[in-house]
Amino acid sequence: MNYKTSLMVAAVCLLSIIAAPIGGLCEPLAGPQILEQVDNNLQPGDLEMYRKIINIEPEGKKKEFVLWFLKKDRDKVVTLFVSPASEEGRATLRLGDNMWLYIPNVGKPIRITSMQSVVGGVFNNADIMRLDYSVEYDVVDLSEDQGQHLLELKAKTGAVAYDRLKMWVLKKELVPSRIDCYAATGMLIKTLHFTEVKDIGDGVVRPAVMETDSPLYKGYRSIMISANLKKRSLPDEVFTLNYLPRVKDLR
Amino acid sequence: MVLRTGLLALLVVLGGTAAAGEYDFSIPQAETKPYTIGGRLEGRYIYHRLDEDSARYRLNYYRDAPGSDTHEWRALLELSGSYRQGIFQANLLTHHQFVDAYETDEWDNEIYEGYASLTPTAQLTLDAGKKQILWGKGYAWNPAGFLNRPKDPDDPALNLEGRPLLGLDLIRSFTAGRLANIGLTGLLLPVIEDWGNEDLGEEGDLNAAIKLYLLWYDTDLDFIYFDGQEQPRSFGFDFAKNLAENIEVHGELAFREDVPHVLLDAAGSVRHTREDQISWLAGVRYLNAIDTTFIVEYYHNGGGYDRSEVEDFFAYQEAAFDRWQASGDPSVMQRADQVTRPYYQQRNYGEDYGYLKISQKEPLDILYFNPWVAAVVNLQDFSFNLQPGMTWTGVTNFEFNFRVAIPVGPSNTEFGEKPDAMRPEIWVRYYF
Repeated sequence: MNYKTSLMVAAVCLLSIIAAPIGGLCEPLAGPQILEQVDNNLQPGDLEMYRKIINIEPEGKKKEFVLWFLKKDRDKVVTLFVSPASEEGRATLRLGDNMWLYIPNVGKPIRITSMQSVVGGVFNNADIMRLDYSVEYDVVDLSEDQGQHLLELKAKTGAVAYDRLKMWVLKKELVPSRIDCYAATGMLIKTLHFTEVKDIGDGVVRPAVMETDSPLYKGYRSIMISANLKKRSLPDEVFTLNYLPRVKDLR
Repeated sequence: MVLRTGLLALLVVLGGTAAAGEYDFSIPQAETKPYTIGGRLEGRYIYHRLDEDSARYRLNYYRDAPGSDTHEWRALLELSGSYRQGIFQANLLTHHQFVDAYETDEWDNEIYEGYASLTPTAQLTLDAGKKQILWGKGYAWNPAGFLNRPKDPDDPALNLEGRPLLGLDLIRSFTAGRLANIGLTGLLLPVIEDWGNEDLGEEGDLNAAIKLYLLWYDTDLDFIYFDGQEQPRSFGFDFAKNLAENIEVHGELAFREDVPHVLLDAAGSVRHTREDQISWLAGVRYLNAIDTTFIVEYYHNGGGYDRSEVEDFFAYQEAAFDRWQASGDPSVMQRADQVTRPYYQQRNYGEDYGYLKISQKEPLDILYFNPWVAAVVNLQDFSFNLQPGMTWTGVTNFEFNFRVAIPVGPSNTEFGEKPDAMRPEIWVRYYF
C-alpha cells in the first residue's frame, strides 16, 4: 500500500468515525458502541440540569417536583429538590450502586436503595439518579425492529434496579425512543418513552421528555422533563456524604 | 464532537421529531437568589385514653387525677431562612409551639438552629453557632449518637433542637482504590446557660467530639469519639451497606467509660454507681417486589435495667402509692417522682429491644399514601408498643398523618405501666 492509498484509507476511516453514528454510512455500529453513544447523547460528561417530574393520576390530577441534577464522571450523581416547599432541601447522592437520601429535618443522610422512590409515583430512585447505561448493563443482543436498533441489555450485577432492558434506539439520533424494564423473573416493571428531541441547553440535543407507565400502576403516568442543561465540572468532594447537606450552596 | 452535535441538531430540526406545546419546559425555580425563606405550620391533636392503674399515671396525677381521658392540642410554627454570599452562609430555624394539654397551657419559643458557615473549598467547611447533630445509622435508636436529641422514629420529619458548637468538616475523595471518601468532622461544644448544651455539663465546660467517616468497599463506616468534663469518655462505631438493590444493613456499637448509674430497689433505696457500658444495634431494611418496606432492629442498651431491676422499680412505685393513699403525705410521691427520673428520662430504660416497622407504599394505587405499622418490643418482659399509622401527601405542600399508640403488657412491665392505654394522634403539616 503506497502513501497516497494509505492516506485515502485513513481519510475514509476518519470520515466513517465521524459520520457513522449519524448516518451509518460504512460499518454498522456494534451494540456496545451504540450504547456508549446513547449514554454520550443523553448525559454528555460532567453537567448540571433541572428535572421536572410530574406524576399524573388516572383522573388527571398532577403533582410536580423540580430537582437540580448534578452528574460527574459516569457514576456520580447528586439531586437536590428545589420544589415544592415540602420537599425543598432534600438531596440524594449516588456513587455507583450506593445511594443516600438527606432530609434536612432528619439531619443525617440515610442509605436508600434503587427500587425505592423518593417522589412516589412510577419513577424509582434508579430512574431519577440514573447512571450511564453502559456502567450498569452489558449488551447481549442487537437486532432491528421498526426501523430502529433494538438492544437487549443485561445488568452487570444484582445490585442494578432492572435485571434486563429492551432499548429501542433511533438510528439517526442515537438516542432511545423506548425502554422496557424487566425484573429478574421476566416481569415487565415499566416502560420508558423518550420524546421531544431538542436542545436542552449548552448545545446538547436529546429527548427532553421521558414518560413512563407501568403494568404495576395501571392508568398512572410519570413524566420527567429535562431542561437548563449546563456543562459543569465540580470537585469530587461535592459527591460525598459529608457535602450533601451543603450541596444547595452550589446552585 | 461539535460537528456531530451540529449535524444531529440539523437532523432533528429537519426531521421534525418534536411536537411543541405538549409540555411546559419552563422551570422558574432555576433562577436562584442569595436568600431563602420558608417554614411550616402544624396542627396536632392527641387523645389520651388513660390507664388509671398504671404506675406512671399514679405518679403523674396522684394529686389531681384527670379521670379516664385527656385531650391535647398543639400548634406549631417553624420558620427557616438562609443567606449566602460567596463562601459565607448564614442559617436560621426558629420553633414556636403552643401546647394545650391537661395541666399544661404554654408557649415554647426556641431558636433550633442559628449558625454561620464558611466553605472556602469543597474540601473544607467551618461552622459556628447552633446546629443540629444527628449521628448513627439506626432508625429507632442511635447508641453511637452521643450528642443526638431524642427522636421519634415514626415521625422522622420532626425538627430537633441544635447544639451550640464550633465545627470543622474536612472531606477527601479518591478516584482509585477501595477507599472512595474520607470525611473528618471535629466539634467543640461549649455549655452556655439559656442557649444550649446544659445537658452536657456545667456553665463553661467545653466538650469535644470527632467523627471519622469512610466510604470503604461501598460501606459507610463512622468512628466516633466524644468527651467532656462532666461527660463519660465515649467511643462509637457505625456502619451501613446496601447488600442488594432492595436490602440495606446497618449497625452501631458504643462504649462509654465510667458512666453514672442509678439503681432503685423495691424499698426505694437508691444506689449510685459508675460503670462501663457497651450498647449496640443491628438492623436491616428490606423492600419487596410489591413495595412493602420492612425495618427490623435489635438494640442492646448498656445503660438499661434488667427484668428483676424493672420489677423492683415498679414494686417501689406501687408501695409508694399505697403509702400516699394511706397517709396522704405528698412527700412520699414527691420522692418517688424524683428517684424514678433516671429511669423515665430514658426513652427506653430496659436492656434489650426489638423494633419492627412495616410500611406499604401507595397500596390500592392510592398515590402518596403510606400506611405502616411499627412495634417496639421490650425483649426482657415482652411488653410492647404497637403503633399503626398512615401518611398522605397527595396535596402539594400538605402532609396528613395519623397514628395510634397502643402499649400492651401486664403489670410491672415497661409498656404495661405506660400512662396511656391508647393514644390516637392526628397532625397536619403545611410547608411554605
